[in-house]
Amino acid sequence: MAVQNMKISPLGRVEGDLDLRVTINDGVVTDAWTEAAMFRGFEIILKGKDPQAGLIMTPRICGICGGSHLYKSAYALDTAWKTTMPHNATLVRNIAQGCETLLSIPRWFYALFAIDFVNKNYAKAAGYEEIVRRFAPFVGTGYETGVTWSSKPAEVYAILGGQWPHSSFMIPGGVMSAPTLADVTRSIAILDWWADAWLEKQFLGCSVDRWLENKTWQDILAWMDENESQHNSDMAVFIRFALEIGLDKYGRGPGAFLATGTFFDPALYTNPTIEGRNAALITRSGIYDGQNYHDFDQANVREDHTHSFFRGEGSLHPFEGVTDPLDPEEARKQGKYTWAKAPRYNVSGKGNIPMEVGPLARQIIAGRSDAAAHQDYDPLFVDVLKELGPSIFTRSLARLHEAPKYFKLVKGWLASLKLNDDFYTKPTEYTEGKGFGSTEAARGALSDWIVLKDGKIENYQVITPTAWNIGPMDSSSTHGPMEQSFIGTTIKDMHDPVELGHVARSFDSCLVCTVHAYDGKTGKELSKFQVNNMC
Amino acid sequence: MATLLWLQGGACSGNTMSFLNAEEPSAIDLVTDFGIDVLWHPSLGMELGEQAQKILWDCANGNRPLDIFVMEGTVMLGPKGTGRYDMFAERPMKDWVTDLAKQAQIVVALGDCACWGGIPATEPNPTDSVGLQYLKRQRGGFLGPDFRSKMGLPVINIPGCPIHPDWVTQILVAIASGRAGDIALDELQRPQTFFKSFTQTGCTRVQFFEYKQSTTEFGQGTRTGCLFYEFGCRGPVTRSPCNRILWNRQSSKTRAGMPCTGCTEPEFPFFDLKPGTVFKTQKISGSIPKEVPTGTDHVTYMAHAAAARVAAPQWSKEDMFVV
Repeated sequence: MAVQNMKISPLGRVEGDLDLRVTINDGVVTDAWTEAAMFRGFEIILKGKDPQAGLIMTPRICGICGGSHLYKSAYALDTAWKTTMPHNATLVRNIAQGCETLLSIPRWFYALFAIDFVNKNYAKAAGYEEIVRRFAPFVGTGYETGVTWSSKPAEVYAILGGQWPHSSFMIPGGVMSAPTLADVTRSIAILDWWADAWLEKQFLGCSVDRWLENKTWQDILAWMDENESQHNSDMAVFIRFALEIGLDKYGRGPGAFLATGTFFDPALYTNPTIEGRNAALITRSGIYDGQNYHDFDQANVREDHTHSFFRGEGSLHPFEGVTDPLDPEEARKQGKYTWAKAPRYNVSGKGNIPMEVGPLARQIIAGRSDAAAHQDYDPLFVDVLKELGPSIFTRSLARLHEAPKYFKLVKGWLASLKLNDDFYTKPTEYTEGKGFGSTEAARGALSDWIVLKDGKIENYQVITPTAWNIGPMDSSSTHGPMEQSFIGTTIKDMHDPVELGHVARSFDSCLVCTVHAYDGKTGKELSKFQVNNMC
Repeated sequence: MATLLWLQGGACSGNTMSFLNAEEPSAIDLVTDFGIDVLWHPSLGMELGEQAQKILWDCANGNRPLDIFVMEGTVMLGPKGTGRYDMFAERPMKDWVTDLAKQAQIVVALGDCACWGGIPATEPNPTDSVGLQYLKRQRGGFLGPDFRSKMGLPVINIPGCPIHPDWVTQILVAIASGRAGDIALDELQRPQTFFKSFTQTGCTRVQFFEYKQSTTEFGQGTRTGCLFYEFGCRGPVTRSPCNRILWNRQSSKTRAGMPCTGCTEPEFPFFDLKPGTVFKTQKISGSIPKEVPTGTDHVTYMAHAAAARVAAPQWSKEDMFVV
């Protein structure tokens, strides 16, 4: 396939599930609106259904985050039904969630993100020839291996859960499976094989442990030139090229970050509750508002639908959330412009503000100093943020940094399984209750709020990472995180604004995205182009 | 060389994600080795460029030959028949489907949503979603019962939520290598080479089914027994090769202790997920399964079950899938 045929380039009238409209003045983006173009009505379908319907229904919200949907919907029921969780069940859930993210990272990097570097606009860059050799779609040496091997962690998921995507093997009180010795040894072997073939050999050029010694941005710069193998790794090639083309200079975003955290210490979450969640997490939850850290509390989450294609306006907590769709044509007359709602978080003194979610948020929270012994403490991205600030590059580097981190975690959990112990405790199926379950999908915080009444679902609200990041303006006309990230971007080639593609893809949002660029003075449409995404 | 265009309607991209797990051939092999010319796909890197809009419109207008049109996801008719719940290229997706289905040599519905409406069409079907040629088990769907593609075939349904990658890669290779004529379809337009067998065919729990020995609990309880009696497993009444062609080359839901949810059948999700139906066998007078295995009846089933329980050897009452 010829390298000039890029995924981001003028694409006439085609638009996908997410439209992005930007206004450009003298080559700089001055305003931006994201428009999700499809409505499926999951929350409407779930009303009145079996309490466990979310275990089957919500994974089907997203093909690449299905395991994450299952994970948080199971925990939502665990808190509502006050279950007892055997240690093994927590470990199996952790392993499965970790494997889904391990699959997602290379799939995102090679199939969606790095292929943009092959764009002809970069043909004069010093690293271009090597970039094309490695990352050109279908034929690049890195692309083919990276995409093909990305499916290996899913094999471990299948050993524990039967299949990936779209298993429903996590249930209130534990998991359906009870792995055998051979299931565990095979899982370990597959992950080691994957690390040998891709993660360590090709992607890092060093051992996972060597990469994880990097604690500062200076460490990473020194790591790149430590030896030939690291210098020639996909990671180092990416870092050099990203810096050469200036991906560290734009795509900043709101500068406020939210993580709901994921993975539980088995001993600390044997009786899952909403209140006990933060303390039991291994990779922590939290808020960083640009100056200070705050504890995450689900009670401070709001969804604003003032600019969304739903009836009415204002801001509701998800337990009280409503999903009442309008005909988009009618809704546009009321200033509404998207199917996504606008999630916000109430930070004391700052009000309901937009929050970036995803790997950068997680890694910033990981650098908070007060970690308990069982929790991940990792100062790397506090330093990277201090040195470079938020950008396309820092966001992407944080995502890649999680591959070795999660690999090590998953291996540890596999080693901790006690195969002769229980994997499930049959719960009492209470007919009334409220539950909150959350996790970190590869692309960010993913949460369910469930209300049970008379033995069925009274209300079910899901907030996806994509909604956090690509959601629209709120009632105070404050833009969503990704909208803010576009503003200020300088476009070099008005007919091929690849810069906007990088920004959009750095969030790894679950939508196919089309970007429309308008001239701020004339209102004339400059170009439209497609930004493909996973789901 | 065969041209292929892949669109997503009311979808989650799960079939695409499953497709990317393919090996022998991989998704990349299909392009580089088998000459599948992917004109457009929502998630894969490929030729777009300035000609991309032209490609889509040229296919829709019949100016560019389109061999295979793959649809993933439902066709949304709502609100009020406008299709505006799913806009694509500034027009309702349903209008693209109409145009492309007319021009394609072969139309493939990939996954439950495109085949039958799937999850989005679950009661109360808020988006008025339909499959390409079915709505649940009712023939018709979006394109109508009489639809035939240019090659004279009805829509080829490859159901599943999601599809197994082999089910689509092998069919694409068959088409690309001139074997489209060998693709025999069953009464639901599914390739029978995959969908004649039952999910239970090859299930590691089938001996427990034979002797009517039930799994009594999830987790550690699934070290023995069959999931049909208590946990709503649809393995004996669902057509799929899930236990012949394993998932992710490793396992299947029933092997891992998860009941089959019947996701290759038009009724999925069964019973519209009404209270009391999820992971629970529906029974008559507290003990007899409401649905008995395909091809049998309650009287025969009860007689067989009584004899089987008497015949059940001791090992069938003990753990088999042990540490």
